[in-house]
Amino acid sequence: MRLPAGVRDWLPHELARKREIEQQMRAVFGRWAYEEVQTPIIERLDVLERGLGEETTELLFHFNDRRSTALALRPEMTTPVARLVSTRMREAPLPLRLAYVASVFRYYEQPQEGRMRELTQAGVELIGAAGIDADAETLFMAIEGLDEIGLRDARFDINDARIVDGILDGVGLDGDAAREAKEHIKVRNLVALRKFERPALVEFAQLRGRHDAIEHAREICRTPESRAALDELHVMLDRAEALGYQQRVTVDFALLRDLDYYTGFLFEGYVEEIGFSLCGGGRYDSLLPRFGFNVPAVGWTAGVERLLIALERRGKHVRRRRHRVDVLVAGSDVVAARERAAGNVVRYAGADLGDDALLEEARAHDIPRVVIALNGTVRELRVGPRIGDLPVPRTPSNWDAR
Amino acid sequence: MSRPVIAREDGLTIAMPKGALYADAAARLRAAGIDVPHDVGRRLTVRTTDGTTLLFLRPTDVPAYVEFGSADCGIVGKDVLWETDRNVAELADLGFGYCRLVVAGRRIDRYHEGAPYPTFLRVATKFIRSAESFFAERDLPVELIPLHGSVELSPLVGLADLIVDLVATGTTLREHDLVVVEEVAESTARFVVNPVRFRAKYDAITALLDRLTAVPA
Repeated sequence: MRLPAGVRDWLPHELARKREIEQQMRAVFGRWAYEEVQTPIIERLDVLERGLGEETTELLFHFNDRRSTALALRPEMTTPVARLVSTRMREAPLPLRLAYVASVFRYYEQPQEGRMRELTQAGVELIGAAGIDADAETLFMAIEGLDEIGLRDARFDINDARIVDGILDGVGLDGDAAREAKEHIKVRNLVALRKFERPALVEFAQLRGRHDAIEHAREICRTPESRAALDELHVMLDRAEALGYQQRVTVDFALLRDLDYYTGFLFEGYVEEIGFSLCGGGRYDSLLPRFGFNVPAVGWTAGVERLLIALERRGKHVRRRRHRVDVLVAGSDVVAARERAAGNVVRYAGADLGDDALLEEARAHDIPRVVIALNGTVRELRVGPRIGDLPVPRTPSNWDAR
Repeated sequence: MSRPVIAREDGLTIAMPKGALYADAAARLRAAGIDVPHDVGRRLTVRTTDGTTLLFLRPTDVPAYVEFGSADCGIVGKDVLWETDRNVAELADLGFGYCRLVVAGRRIDRYHEGAPYPTFLRVATKFIRSAESFFAERDLPVELIPLHGSVELSPLVGLADLIVDLVATGTTLREHDLVVVEEVAESTARFVVNPVRFRAKYDAITALLDRLTAVPA
């Protein structure tokens, strides 16, 4: 009777909270003119590997069908959407603004909170748009998304994947050494970076800030690509400031996201008290070309369960509606149908229940009305409080009892 | 279901390893200006006069507290980081707590002098992940026997051909007539931090990092 490790059930009150967040995210996507798409949970393994690189195969639940076709559960949505666009929407006018709210699956050896084997991602892809306007659109939409669910103090770190290459070039690392250093920067392993005996590398991996940090990085960066990226970060900070986000957006040069398809702008959103990021994204101009469609793209996604954890830790439970059921109906399909047609939520009760039992059921579920149709007559009972629930009148005899 | 959140306070929350590393870790933090009490008795957590919260943990639990953000940062041996494989950022090698993770066998088996290993090696250890990757890299099929203590007993009574264990001075090996066959890795104490908390408490954490690394090792 046990569930596999790393997956969970959602009970009605839990799912209601999750759905509320999903709806709030959908509302934000809609306000930014994004349209939702859906793709299959199962993809061909070669399609996912084409998008994600073969080294991520160990992250996949993969299996063969009976004809030995290698299949896998999608571990994220960007690759399936890239496949969808490059095979089905090539003729559509660009840019495309697509959104999704979907479950994805990852094979974690040791699943844990925030690292479940099944998780829900709510995100968007802006396809066919290059440049900082598109980058800014994803960042500011993500900020509004976290605002919408009530995480108005969420902070966002930004970076650009081109800058680390400029730094590695600037300190004279290339080939395997550069690749190794990049892995250490990604997890901010300063101990391993010190072994390269290039102090600038260690300093860079700790470098955070705003315009001053960008200028500091410029002292090391020589490549035109990394210098262009630094210029764009200046502009991004200015644009964030104009929206009143100056306290919430910071440059962090060690921010390199896990998946290897990012080619430019990158960001992650987080709140202080949760130890993992809540959302993130960036530019991945090389992904669609892997599917034979030569267009740039940028996107971001939020982990719905992680958003829920953040809200619950703050005691910000999404409100539960009372009076979810409007009327309790006994004895007549016709009366019940009329109530539903009038827009009411109707709960059926057994026709053999007496008035007291019906009132009891109504009180137990906070139902304000009871309608009984028996022998051709329709009666409505008023649901008052139980005698025992009424406030005890203050009389001289119980004044002292408090 | 909301849980108390210790680490949201303004001061840092530091996960401290109880046991062998504790005295050096406490001394290093004191040198870095944190008022670590000399006697904490049996308390699990202490709030210092400078507003730092200290959590006293089993060393193997330190990475989990830091990864989940229940502590902002912590001090832990590299050997524990190998075994737990938690997502924490390793900011500094603090130099103390030096020990080696080694493969050791009985002197009379002469593995240390180049005698060939048996075809099916049985290896007893507390360090499953490290042992697994060490023998996998050498393409040696092994049967790992996870033990929780007195690993050095296992080759003496025929439970295992070899052990993978931590060695500080080598006294324990000598007492049981065991010898080092190969070195797996060297370990020292590390200052680790939660990746998100590094950003959120950047000023406090980098200031502590600077003070911890400024002290001569």
